[in-house]
Amino acid sequence: MTRRFACGFLLIAAACTEQATAPGDCPNFCPGGSIVIQDSIFTAIIERDSSFRGYVQGYQAEAMTAADLPGVQSRAIFVLSTMITRVAPRPGDTATVPIAVDSSRLRVTMVRRNRATTNLWLKLYSIPITTDSTTSFASLDPNFTAPPIDSVNVDSLLARPLITDTATLRIWGDTIQTDSAGHTLITADSARILTLFFELDTLQAPFVVADSGRVGFGVRVTADSLASAAFGTTASGSNTPTLLWFYHYTIPDTLSTPDSVVQANGIRVPQFDSFVFDPPLAPLDSNLAVGGVPSARSLLRVALPAFLRDSFDIVRATVILVPVAAVPGSPADSFTVQAHPIQTDLGAKSPLSLGPGGSVVVHPGSADTVRIELTDLVRLWAVDTAAATAFILGQDPEATSFTEIRFYSSRTPALRPALHLTYVKRFPFGEP
Amino acid sequence: MNRRADGPTGGRAVLAGLTVLVLTVSPSARLPAQDSQFGIRGLGSPGKWESVRARSAGGAFAPFDAFSPLLDASLADVRRLSASVTSGTSWRTVDPVGRPEASLRGTRFPAVVISGPLVGRLSIGGGFTTYLDRSFGITTQDTIDLRGVPQPVTDEVTSDGGVTDLRLAAALRVNRRLAIGAGLHLLTGSSRVVATRRFADTAYKTSQSSDEVAYEGSGASLSALIDLHADLRLAGWFRSDSKLRADIRGRTAAENDLPRSYGAGVLWRPGGQASVAGTVSWRNWASVGPGAGPNAHDTFNWSFGVELGSASAPIRFGVRGGQLPFGVGTTPTEVGYSAGLGRQFSGGRGRVDLGLERLERKGTGLTERVWTFLLGLTVRP
Repeated sequence: MTRRFACGFLLIAAACTEQATAPGDCPNFCPGGSIVIQDSIFTAIIERDSSFRGYVQGYQAEAMTAADLPGVQSRAIFVLSTMITRVAPRPGDTATVPIAVDSSRLRVTMVRRNRATTNLWLKLYSIPITTDSTTSFASLDPNFTAPPIDSVNVDSLLARPLITDTATLRIWGDTIQTDSAGHTLITADSARILTLFFELDTLQAPFVVADSGRVGFGVRVTADSLASAAFGTTASGSNTPTLLWFYHYTIPDTLSTPDSVVQANGIRVPQFDSFVFDPPLAPLDSNLAVGGVPSARSLLRVALPAFLRDSFDIVRATVILVPVAAVPGSPADSFTVQAHPIQTDLGAKSPLSLGPGGSVVVHPGSADTVRIELTDLVRLWAVDTAAATAFILGQDPEATSFTEIRFYSSRTPALRPALHLTYVKRFPFGEP
Repeated sequence: MNRRADGPTGGRAVLAGLTVLVLTVSPSARLPAQDSQFGIRGLGSPGKWESVRARSAGGAFAPFDAFSPLLDASLADVRRLSASVTSGTSWRTVDPVGRPEASLRGTRFPAVVISGPLVGRLSIGGGFTTYLDRSFGITTQDTIDLRGVPQPVTDEVTSDGGVTDLRLAAALRVNRRLAIGAGLHLLTGSSRVVATRRFADTAYKTSQSSDEVAYEGSGASLSALIDLHADLRLAGWFRSDSKLRADIRGRTAAENDLPRSYGAGVLWRPGGQASVAGTVSWRNWASVGPGAGPNAHDTFNWSFGVELGSASAPIRFGVRGGQLPFGVGTTPTEVGYSAGLGRQFSGGRGRVDLGLERLERKGTGLTERVWTFLLGLTVRP
C-alpha cells in the first residue's frame, strides 16, 4: 500500500511540473505585438562637459615613467629617506657609535616596458636630495647629462642564463640572472615585471652623514627606438624602489671582550618619487582632457530623454568620443580610460560612485574614435530618476605617465561626444 | 465499538476535506483549463464548463450535472450541501506545419462548484471556472541587423493566467417536470505577461518587460430542465456576457465583446444502469471585436456520451466535436474521445472521478494533440 501511495505521489509530482513554452509559429500563432528594437546615435544629449586637472600628482602615482621618445623625454626620480648614522652598540647602551657604510644595493622594479624595443638601457644618475614636487625637467637636466653612476642593458641581462641553484634561491627567493658588472635581475609574471638590483659602492652612492644618509637617484632609459618604461613607486606598495645600506660598526673595548666589528644593513624607501618630462602638457582648453600629470578628468553630463525612461528598455549604450589627435608615446604607453558614475554632480569635485562604469584601452599613435560601453550605467539612470546622469572620464592608472588624450567636446558640434543607444520598446501587452 | 463510516466522524472528515479542497483551489488567476496555441492570437482558449464526470463522457452530461458549471437549473437536483473540484493534467503536442513538434505539459484546476438547497425547492450554488485561458509561452529566434552587424536574438513571450468565471446561481424546481435556473457571472482574473529578448552578443543586455493584465466583465445565464418522461430529460440554456475589459496599470488596453452562448441537451435513461446524453451548443465568438476580429469564428460544438453501471461505480465513454473560436484562416476544429469511471466512498458522502481525454485540434497551419488526465472529487458533508 505504501509503495502504491509513493508511486502515486511521484506520478502527481511529475505531472505537476509545467512546460508551457513552445517555439512560436509567427505571426499566426503568436501574440499580436512584437518586440521592437531601435538603434540611434544621440548626438546632442551629452552636454555641459568640462575638464579639470589636479586630481593625482606625479608624486602620488603608483608608477613613474622614464622614456626617450621622439618629441618626449621623461625621467624617473626618487630621493630615499634618511638613514641612521649612529647605533647603540649594545642593548641598553646610551652611548652610540658611528656606522661606516661599505656599499649599498639599489632595487628598482620595472612594472611596464616596451617589449618590442631592443637594446634597452637603464641608466642611473645622481640627483640632488632637495628634489621635490617643484623640481622641473630643466632643473634636473644637468644631472642627467652628467655621466651615469651605473647602467645596465636590460635585454642583455634578460638573455643571460638563469641561476637556479639552491643557495641562490635561498638568498634571493627566486631564480636570478646576473651580469659581470654585478647587476641582478629577477623576473616575474612572464617577464612582464622586472626587478633590477644595482650593487653600488660608496662613490656611486655616497653616504653623507651631514645629509643623514639621504641620497637621490634619477633613471633614464634608452633603446634602439621608442624607449619607454615605468617603475614602481611607494604608492604601488611592494614595487617601490629600495636602497639597502650595508654598514659596520665597532663595539668599543670592554673589560671582558676585545673590540669587535658588527656587520649590519638597513633598508630605506623613497620619501619622494615622481618623474619629470619635457615638453610639459598643454594647458586645458575647450576640449576634454583625460590623463597627464597632474591627472586631468572630464565630466560629461547626459540629458537622458524622458521617453527612454518611460517606454523603452535600453539594451546597449555606447559613448562615442572623437580624439583631437593621436596620443604620443610608445605602444607600451597604452592606458585605460575609465568612465566612472558619480554620486552627485558637484562639478570638478563630484564624488565618484561605485556603480557600474565602463572602460576602453587607448593606444598611443592611434586617433581612432573611442567607444566606451556604458550599458549598465545608462540602464541604471533609466530606472533611478534620482541618479546623477553624468560620468567622469579618467585615466587608469592616473598620473603614472605623461600620456594624455583629448576629445572633442560639445563645443565642437560636428565632433562632439555622442551616446549610441540600442533600446527595446515596451511590449504592447493586453492586446489580443 | 466501531463507528459507522458515515457517522459523525466520517462527516467531519468529509467537511474537513471540503474545506481543504476549497482553500486549495480558491479563486485566483491560476485556473486555466485548456491551453491551446489557437487561443494565443485571440482572446484565449475557452474553458470547458464540465466536471470530470461530464468531461469523461465527452461533455454530453454537462447540462444535467449539477457540478458542471454550464447549466444553473441542474442545481435544483442538489438536495445536500455539496462541493466538487476538477483537476486536469495535460500533455500537449503542438505540430506546426513545416516546423518541429513541441511538447508541453500543464496541470490545472478548471472548475470548482459548491451548491446546496436553500429553502424548499430553491437551491443555490456557486463556484468558479475558467472562462478564457491566457497561459502560453512562445519562443522565436531571428537575426536582426544592429549597428551594422547581424545579431542573433531569441524572443520569448509568456502569459500566465486567464479570465475566471465567478458564478452565483439559483435553481428552482417549479414542479415535477420543470426546473429553472439563473446565474450571475463575474468575469475576473489576470495574467502575468513577460516579453524577453536575449541577444547572442553579450554586449547587449537581455531586455525584459512584464506587466499584469487585469480582466473584468460580467454576464448572466438562464436555463431550464424539462422532464418529458421519467427517463427522458431535456435541457436548454442561454448566456450573455458583457464586454471583457483588459486593464494594465489602471489603463484600458483592450475591450472586446463576449459571445452569447446557447445550447440544448437531451438525456435518456434506457435502463436502471445506463444513461445516454447528447448536447449541442453555439457561441458567436465572431463578434468579439477589435484585435481578434479577423481570426475569430462562431462556434458550434456537439457531444455524445454514455454512462453505464451503478451510481456508485459507473463507467463513462464519450465523444465530442466542434470548432474553436480563434485561428487564422478557416475555423479550427476539435475532436475528442474520452472515458472514465467514478467511485463513491463514505457511504455516498464522497466521490472520486477519474477520466482520460484525447483531443485533436486542427487549424490552418497547426495541429494539436492533447492527452488529459482528469481527477475530480465531490464531497457531501
